[in-house]
Amino acid sequence: MNKEELILKWLDNDLTPKELETFKALADYESLIKLSNYSKGFKAPKYDTTDALQNTLDSIEAKKTVSKNWLQPILKVAAILAICFGGYYYTTTLDSTFATHFAEKSSIELPDHSSVHLNALSKITFNKTNWNNNRTITLDGEAFFKVEEGSTFNVKTDVGTVTVLGTQFNIKQRKNYFEVICYEGTVQINYNTAKTILKAGDSFLVLNGNIITDLSINKKQPEWLNNVSAFSSLPLSEVLAEFERQYKIKFDTSNIKVNTLYTGKFTHKDIDIALKSITEPLHLNYTKNNKTIILSRE
Amino acid sequence: MLKPIGNNICNENRFSAIFKKYAKDLHAFLFYKYGEHLNPKDKVQDAFIKLWQNCGKVSPEKAKSYLYTVANNLMLNEVAHQKVVLKHQKTKPTAHSNESPEFLMEEDEYRKKLEKAIANLTEAQRIAFLMNRAEGKRFKEIASLLNISTKAVEKRIYGALKKLREEIDEL
Repeated sequence: MNKEELILKWLDNDLTPKELETFKALADYESLIKLSNYSKGFKAPKYDTTDALQNTLDSIEAKKTVSKNWLQPILKVAAILAICFGGYYYTTTLDSTFATHFAEKSSIELPDHSSVHLNALSKITFNKTNWNNNRTITLDGEAFFKVEEGSTFNVKTDVGTVTVLGTQFNIKQRKNYFEVICYEGTVQINYNTAKTILKAGDSFLVLNGNIITDLSINKKQPEWLNNVSAFSSLPLSEVLAEFERQYKIKFDTSNIKVNTLYTGKFTHKDIDIALKSITEPLHLNYTKNNKTIILSRE
Repeated sequence: MLKPIGNNICNENRFSAIFKKYAKDLHAFLFYKYGEHLNPKDKVQDAFIKLWQNCGKVSPEKAKSYLYTVANNLMLNEVAHQKVVLKHQKTKPTAHSNESPEFLMEEDEYRKKLEKAIANLTEAQRIAFLMNRAEGKRFKEIASLLNISTKAVEKRIYGALKKLREEIDEL
């Protein structure tokens, strides 16, 4: 057996008594023992397994209670959901508003499939929630309604309220101008505490505070739905106001009388044809200057 | 592959048994490998807590290597590996009562030399050598702890011994 094997056996505590004798006879026996003895001084600090186990189990227990705080992220998620739901609920119960600009028309279908056609520069506001039990629309401007049968259908304007039960009618509420034309069914108008019932073909007009009811119409729907504005013995000022809404221009009327009555139509599609259809019957001239149209007598 | 339910570590008794079986050796291993300043005791505890948290995924047979890997990673995460200097505790290897001052000085010098020499061993040599000399473990035990062959343990320990003697005797 060589020296290395002997030393290894000694290190592994595996020497037979006879081998131990041989080992002790080695020249470096003393220094090997010394090294070995001193090496014991590098022993790892005492490790109390029982104690350490208890500590470990304790902190596992503590972690478990900490893990109850998993409730916290759940609460966070719940809070976010609550906010989202709240926001959703708030926005869905908010009033819906639809508006048109100059030279723009729009049609809107209401929750009960009733429809509203908006003429230029008009606005409607209504609330979708509980629509079937409370059909109320606020209108500012001009709109044509096709109302499905159902609960009372109200259209509120600044001037008066129009109440119907399923019909087709047009409301035009502009400055100093309030007009309701019934095309089908019956509508009731509350204007200044007075009630007026309109049947199909009847119209109701308030011009500068004066009620005019004897106009009758034989059309199926308002002309403006076909991009034409029609007037029957109305002051030129009203005609021009409508013209301005349809073409987004301004009239200079300083040289003419605007209370001249006008009966006729103008198209929404061609400004020159439209201008001619107004100026020619009234013997007026027009000159276009950018966005302003100057009217003058012939 | 699903493990049988009765065979996992998610049971306090089984967990405690595994703790008693491996904790002390793991602690010694970490101490010899990384020294004391990185709190080997805490790392042992953290490794076992991790084992508990993953008790369903780690089979008892895999527990030991899992613990060693986790504890080792915890250590490595802590700081960049520095050179490990183990402090010699001043336990007196010999019980002479009336040592001469020369002897005491000599002893002190030897201790310092040994400290330095041990610090100069490779990590693998140091762990194996001190597991053997300081912990009194036999080669077979060390081999199983470190997951290496007995032959490799012999090589590491003998290499360490040779290196230590060269360094001490030469100076």
